[in-house]
Amino acid sequence: MAKLKKFFRYENVGLLFVLPAFLYMLVFVGYPIIRNIILSFQDVNAGNLVRGTKNFILFDNYLELFKDSVFTTSLWNTLRYTVLCLVFQFVIGFALALFFSQRFALAKPVRGILLVPWMIPVTVTALMFKLLFATDIGVINFILRSLHLIDQNIEWLTTPGTAMFALICANVWIGIPFNMILISTGLTTIPKELYESASIDGAGKVQTFWKITLPLLKPTIESVLILGFIYTFKVYDLVYVMTSGGPVNSTHMLSTYSYKLSFEMFKYSKGSAVANVLLVILLIVGVFYIKATTEGEEE
Amino acid sequence: MMDEEKRLSSKKNILFSIVSVAFLCILLFPLYWALITSLKTEQEIFQNPPTFYPHVVNTKSYAAQVETGDFNMFRSFGNSFLISVGATVIAVLLAVPASYGIAKYHFKARKVMLLSFLVTQMLPVSVLLTPMFIMFKNMHVYNTWVAAVLADATIGIPFSVLILKNYFASIPKDLEEAAYLDGCNKFSAFVRILIPIAKPGVMVCAIFSFLYAWGDLAYGMTFILDQEKRPITAGIFNFMGQYGTKWSYLTAFAVVTIIPVALIFIFMQKYIVSGMTSGAVKG
Amino acid sequence: MKKRKITALLTALTMTAGILAGCGGTGNDAAAPAAPAADNAPAAQESSKEESGGEAASGGEAQAITIWYYWETEGHQVALDQVIQEYNGSQSQYEVTAKYVPFADFKKQLSIGASADELPDIAILDSPDHASYVEMGIFEDLTGKFDVSNYYEGTVNSCTVDGKLYGVPFGANCLALYYNEDMLTAAGCSVPTTWDELKETAKALTTDSVTGLALCSVQNEEGTFNFVPWLWSTGATSYDINNENGIRALTFIQDLINEGVMSKECINWTQGDVMNQFISGNVAMMENGPWQIPTMQSEAPDLNWKVTLIPKDAEYASVLGGENYAVINGGNVDGALDFLTYATSEEKVKFLMDKFGYISADKNIAGSQFAADSPYQPFVEELNYAMPRGPLAEWPSVSDAISLAFNQVITGTATPEDAAADAQATIDGIVK
Repeated sequence: MAKLKKFFRYENVGLLFVLPAFLYMLVFVGYPIIRNIILSFQDVNAGNLVRGTKNFILFDNYLELFKDSVFTTSLWNTLRYTVLCLVFQFVIGFALALFFSQRFALAKPVRGILLVPWMIPVTVTALMFKLLFATDIGVINFILRSLHLIDQNIEWLTTPGTAMFALICANVWIGIPFNMILISTGLTTIPKELYESASIDGAGKVQTFWKITLPLLKPTIESVLILGFIYTFKVYDLVYVMTSGGPVNSTHMLSTYSYKLSFEMFKYSKGSAVANVLLVILLIVGVFYIKATTEGEEE
Repeated sequence: MMDEEKRLSSKKNILFSIVSVAFLCILLFPLYWALITSLKTEQEIFQNPPTFYPHVVNTKSYAAQVETGDFNMFRSFGNSFLISVGATVIAVLLAVPASYGIAKYHFKARKVMLLSFLVTQMLPVSVLLTPMFIMFKNMHVYNTWVAAVLADATIGIPFSVLILKNYFASIPKDLEEAAYLDGCNKFSAFVRILIPIAKPGVMVCAIFSFLYAWGDLAYGMTFILDQEKRPITAGIFNFMGQYGTKWSYLTAFAVVTIIPVALIFIFMQKYIVSGMTSGAVKG
Repeated sequence: MKKRKITALLTALTMTAGILAGCGGTGNDAAAPAAPAADNAPAAQESSKEESGGEAASGGEAQAITIWYYWETEGHQVALDQVIQEYNGSQSQYEVTAKYVPFADFKKQLSIGASADELPDIAILDSPDHASYVEMGIFEDLTGKFDVSNYYEGTVNSCTVDGKLYGVPFGANCLALYYNEDMLTAAGCSVPTTWDELKETAKALTTDSVTGLALCSVQNEEGTFNFVPWLWSTGATSYDINNENGIRALTFIQDLINEGVMSKECINWTQGDVMNQFISGNVAMMENGPWQIPTMQSEAPDLNWKVTLIPKDAEYASVLGGENYAVINGGNVDGALDFLTYATSEEKVKFLMDKFGYISADKNIAGSQFAADSPYQPFVEELNYAMPRGPLAEWPSVSDAISLAFNQVITGTATPEDAAADAQATIDGIVK
């Protein structure tokens, strides 16, 4: 008891604050992670899911994956989709956050309303964009035609390249409010006095942005980007509803491919292996994030 | 004090307001499109070129929302609300202290903890559903809203921890020290001083946790089998599927799912928006 | 039934004290008031929900039988529920309830349920998936328990594995060609019966706002369902595509796209979407099934359309669709069999088929099901040419290869020759 008390005297008291949440996540997500890893080393399909022996085949599933062209496409798709979405939604979200931090009359109400895209279930958003991007009845083609930017309707969702573009548009639309609000909240943590003294020192707006706003916003930016990365990387609903991975598998992501293998093709182990590849990539990104963020603090 | 600070000149004020409304129009155009589509007849939806307002107003699609087969909109709303509030409460209660612990204490397992919060939100749904299902079955909460609450909270917790830790980190140490001088211990300082200061951050986390749970479809569908206990998002299946996507019904569904949440937000705008963005931290 | 007790317990916990008190009256163990509450809660809940009256309440021991199905159409749900209610009213030993699991979720829910040992007693599932679940070992062997000798061979095959019967066909359907008669007359065309005629007719019908032909071409089982009639019509089989016949089928579909008589958008249209395009007058002909007829009649009563056989290349061909009943082997098998015996009686089958817009899987019933001028009649004729997909446990993988090949030629990402070769390579890896 005394030992325990001693253990929690100084910094370790922080552990007490963290443990409840940690244990909660461990209980509900820890088991799935372990089960998934085990499953990915087995040969589970429809035949032995319920009865029969599950053989350990080690890395066979993974080796098979890298010979599977749909998998490599999914991997590449997931990466470029994530990076492009992240860049656009972050830049636009940041710009809007700065814009709305100005004190003009409509700033607060308009910013509040801009949150609305976030309130819509993703499945519904995906369907809305599917309608907007439809070839013949879609309003996007109509607007482009009316502006004489195109002569012929673009087959957005039925051509591999443009289908990806449509997906990115939909995701950026959802992501803008997300980035904007989190950065807005971050902006409020910057003490006003810093800006005042900067302007007294004669610093211009651009200078203040680079010298004060960005450095002080660093932790927020890091969090927003890493969260954005994770949520974009494991995108599921949006792709499933808008394109289901098509046309001809050109928009499959790791998550949709994993789902398809597990629940449509009965290849449970292979599906798990795909999910684990996703997990490993995110894990690497996560480790870099932790390194980057904790380095700054130790100073 | 807000008004004393540099306000924009009236010319700039008007200009900025106009620009902001322009942004709003562009960003919310898909919503406008959903709204008018919901009021069109199916024939008009398929009309080419598309119409920018419903030439024949059709409200049939809204009538269909109220009750379709087993699906009752109002009951589903209630379910969604219950699930979202439950998930939000769990997420906030657990995430607020956790993020504080990570932000303010440099204990040994700190990095591991932080990494684990990151990792736990990385799994795609395809691998979470089966093990979670088995767990909820063993916990005897399968097919109840408790299962959805517990599952939805797993999205909100890591998210909130990562966002809030920055918030707590930005609170100056002297504030805590002042609290200790006033006779607070570590826990009461946290409850009495730090949480109120971090209110904007807590607010954001609550909102996001709520919205994650509100938008969830996979968990609600998989862990709750009875239609009468399912969340509102499950209703989407009534309007798409093997009998075709009925755009008017579907967009009407989108509109009615947004309205109550939007109303809550507008109603609580004062608390939410100011809570989120009024500079709470004064150096 | 452990699960019921748990739900009951939770219901009891969340319910107000009033219900607890009400249940307490019937309780026989005063020391543990929660136990009788838990036992009676489901009965109370169900009788209030289903208005099944005294039967269930007085019996008190009626065993629960659960059915999973995926029809989201209200008419289907109501019809099924009516049969269930009649059954529940006819006896007091079993109490059947049906649960709706959306089509998109159905396979997933069965897979997860199998892993977690949380399955219904009866599943009504899409016939091409039947063999996979038999392989999984969750279905009861029903050989000799049902007389399926009068059923269409294909429907029985879809639930037969290794000569054993693992299900009972619920109903049958197949695809045929719908055409807009007014458009056909205006263009001066006659009803096409061969591929060449079909292409010519489609060309004649195509205008600025109308495309000649549409068929659901999504890249999944639904797409495969719509592709295989074309494949089979050439003489190719599902497992043997990389040959002259298979390539001819792929080329034909590609030509339709290239000549602009079929929209590329078809790869995003479900069969329902295709039907919506057809009744909106954007499409002059479509490949679709009989289950669309009730919707078409109610949504576009003035549209003048007819149904004919899918035009042929070498021979007429169509694909068999529909659902099968399956009994889960860990569940209440006796109860499930009892209900199925009731639901597959001629009277009930007629009622269900009528309400569903399906054709009975029983030839005798199907033969007299419709009047000669009924729009359903061509489907009964088409049924003679309809073949099942599979049955094969790995059918989902074969189906994926087929739908991919057709999607490749439709989107122009591969030539028919390459698409056929790719598909064949995949299929050879599965069917050794």
